Amino acid sequence: MKNFARTLLGLSLAGATALTQAAPAAGERISFVSCPIVRDTVSVPCWLSDYDGDTYYLTIQSDVSASVQPPMLGHQVLVEGIVTDDPAICGGIVLEDVHLTAMPELDANCNTILPVDERYVVDFNPRPPGPSAGRLAFDPAPGAPRQEPPPPTGRQEFEIYFDFDKGVSFRHPRFLGQILSTAEKLKPARMMVTGVRGAHKLSNGMLLQEAENTGQRRAEEIAGLLQDAGLAIDTEVTWISAEADANGVDDWQSRRVSVVLIP
Amino acid sequence: MKISLHNTKSTRLAWLVSAIACLGGTALVAQQAQDIDRTALWWSPGDDRPLPAYIDYENDYGRLGLLNSSGTIQTDGHPFFEALGSNGRGCVTCHQPADAMSLSVATIQQRWRDTNGTDPLFAPVDGMDCPNKPAGDPESHTLLLKRGLIRVALPWPPANAEPEFDIEVVRDPTGCNTDPEYGLAGERKQISVYRRPRPAINLRYVASSRFGVSPFIGKTGQLAATDPETGRPLNMNMMADARDSTLKQQATSASKGHMEVTQPLTNDQLNRIQDFELQLYGAQAWSNIGGTLVEENGPSGIGPQAMANGSDGVLGNNTTRFVFPMEDKWADLPEGNTEAEARRNEFLESVQRGHDAFFYRTFWIKDAMHINTVGLGNPIKRTCATCHGMHMTGMDTANGWMDLGTTNHPWALEPPESPWADEKPEMPLFKVTCREDLPPHPFLGRTIYTQDPGRALISGKCEDVGAIVIQQFRGLSARAPYFSNGSAANLRELVDFYDRRFNIRYTEQEKTDLVNFLSTL
Repeated sequence: MKNFARTLLGLSLAGATALTQAAPAAGERISFVSCPIVRDTVSVPCWLSDYDGDTYYLTIQSDVSASVQPPMLGHQVLVEGIVTDDPAICGGIVLEDVHLTAMPELDANCNTILPVDERYVVDFNPRPPGPSAGRLAFDPAPGAPRQEPPPPTGRQEFEIYFDFDKGVSFRHPRFLGQILSTAEKLKPARMMVTGVRGAHKLSNGMLLQEAENTGQRRAEEIAGLLQDAGLAIDTEVTWISAEADANGVDDWQSRRVSVVLIP
Repeated sequence: MKISLHNTKSTRLAWLVSAIACLGGTALVAQQAQDIDRTALWWSPGDDRPLPAYIDYENDYGRLGLLNSSGTIQTDGHPFFEALGSNGRGCVTCHQPADAMSLSVATIQQRWRDTNGTDPLFAPVDGMDCPNKPAGDPESHTLLLKRGLIRVALPWPPANAEPEFDIEVVRDPTGCNTDPEYGLAGERKQISVYRRPRPAINLRYVASSRFGVSPFIGKTGQLAATDPETGRPLNMNMMADARDSTLKQQATSASKGHMEVTQPLTNDQLNRIQDFELQLYGAQAWSNIGGTLVEENGPSGIGPQAMANGSDGVLGNNTTRFVFPMEDKWADLPEGNTEAEARRNEFLESVQRGHDAFFYRTFWIKDAMHINTVGLGNPIKRTCATCHGMHMTGMDTANGWMDLGTTNHPWALEPPESPWADEKPEMPLFKVTCREDLPPHPFLGRTIYTQDPGRALISGKCEDVGAIVIQQFRGLSARAPYFSNGSAANLRELVDFYDRRFNIRYTEQEKTDLVNFLSTL
């Protein structure tokens, strides 16, 4: 992600570096909940967030193929990432390995759209704000070789990750389809679905827990969808409802469902 | 609420807009007064006249072209054109050829005048505000006569989903949702919502599953409907709430619900209806100001033949395929040698600018469920074509239900409430309370007021409240009013709705251009 951001985005730096003097050291992990901020530009908008006196660059608007997808005004955003010393983008400290999730409850305070400021210029657009040039911004180029996975054998395990407190969403059709496709080839006899209630250790020391029923909801929803899609096999559905611990490292992976297909 | 159906002159006066002076020049507007003989255009079930391979019908903006790509249709005995139900209706009753196979409110009003309300169109089952209203009284048919709305009675709770919300009736101007028999708490346990008939043209596009369709719905991850004949997933783009997803399913449920058939349609009847619908194309072909819209070397995306030629299941929100291909053919026309030619060229240039406003004019799309929640962010700086992206139709490419605000507060059209206001609300209003143990609707929270919960009445999902499947843009000139609840009486009101909803701040010229563009589709 770090190199990706460097490659894709340039910035007119005049006036921007002064905003980043109090930044944490490069390489430091950071995790916080704050309002997202939209900064308009003459092309696509940037997404930022203020935390502890600093402004962080989160991502830019592109399209559904982006690996980092923008948060939502009207909600706080849970940010996880690693601080870099890359040149600031849109006035924000650049994070690598960024993971964003909108907090589910509404927050009317999160409603800031900053106007175009000529100091902040997105030099390269993965996709302009209007129609595309004919393909999604981050899809493989036409004609690029596609690697077919080898036929599955033996036990197959899948991890599906979720937004905070949320169930199945736009993020999941691809992964659910992969499970179905694998099952068609593997012909499993049994499926185990385990839902996990996630937790986050924030940079301020706070431990953030998902709602108690989240793991159960996710597990039952995933199992039900797979069964209704034709995977009508012996299925064991379990979940973890207890409060979890977290250490602030890749905590986004705690918001998950594990699916195991057993031949 | 009084409904006058006697003074047709006043209705026509509303159309009397031809040229208006604007700041900085003159803007030609497509709407023109027309003395259309809607009585002659009406097609009753059993009329048994052939529907030619090509025919055009007058409307207030020009003429709509209908193209049967398989040739002339002999309607005698054809199940689309015969009265199959116990109430005398056929499919054609609500899918009139002159109205782009939908039903305009002008046609409905004329039919009332012509038959004194006895036409099967006004059948109590759904042509009345509620089936137990007195017959023969226009006050029993207010939503059909004023907004072109058919009553859709759906079971509550839904048959195949456990709802994530409670629903209660806040306002019931038709009396149906609090009725002891038909109401939400009545014997039948139904909820009545009121919706426009959708156009039965260009259905090859509407029913296409070539793009973005998989076993799981791209925007939500939920299970997609499948075709009972093939087992393959469907795009679910046909009905306002996506409750039926194949042409045969729609015909079957319409025959039961709207036509009150006593026997289910046969396979042969369903096949004939499907075959007819998949070969029928329609689009505006003539403009009152612009003349023919389908001239040789004209834009490739205009007119019924373009619809017959086009590819379905193609994403058009890009500069390779376009939603409505125009090739800038009308971007820079000569001034013209005659006044008529000058007016024509000025109008066509306005149409091109309207297309460009549709395709390129950015604005903030904010708080729109199923567009701002699919990984693009909220808000996104995009254009009309982001949501209306299907090549040739302007629908969404797949699973296209969204909440653009047409039925949900605070954006749905409501009359002002004040001690001095005469206008009373026409639409029912429901209060939806989403469960506390689930995440709230991301933009509307856990308490939502809506005129029509839309997709949520089928899925039971809080996030689907007010989400309506996007319609095609073709034949708009022939089938006002617009939106599923008929809340935009004409194309200008349609554009004004979006201008308010998304704070676009269109200029007067942009609004005129957009109306002109839409009138030519």
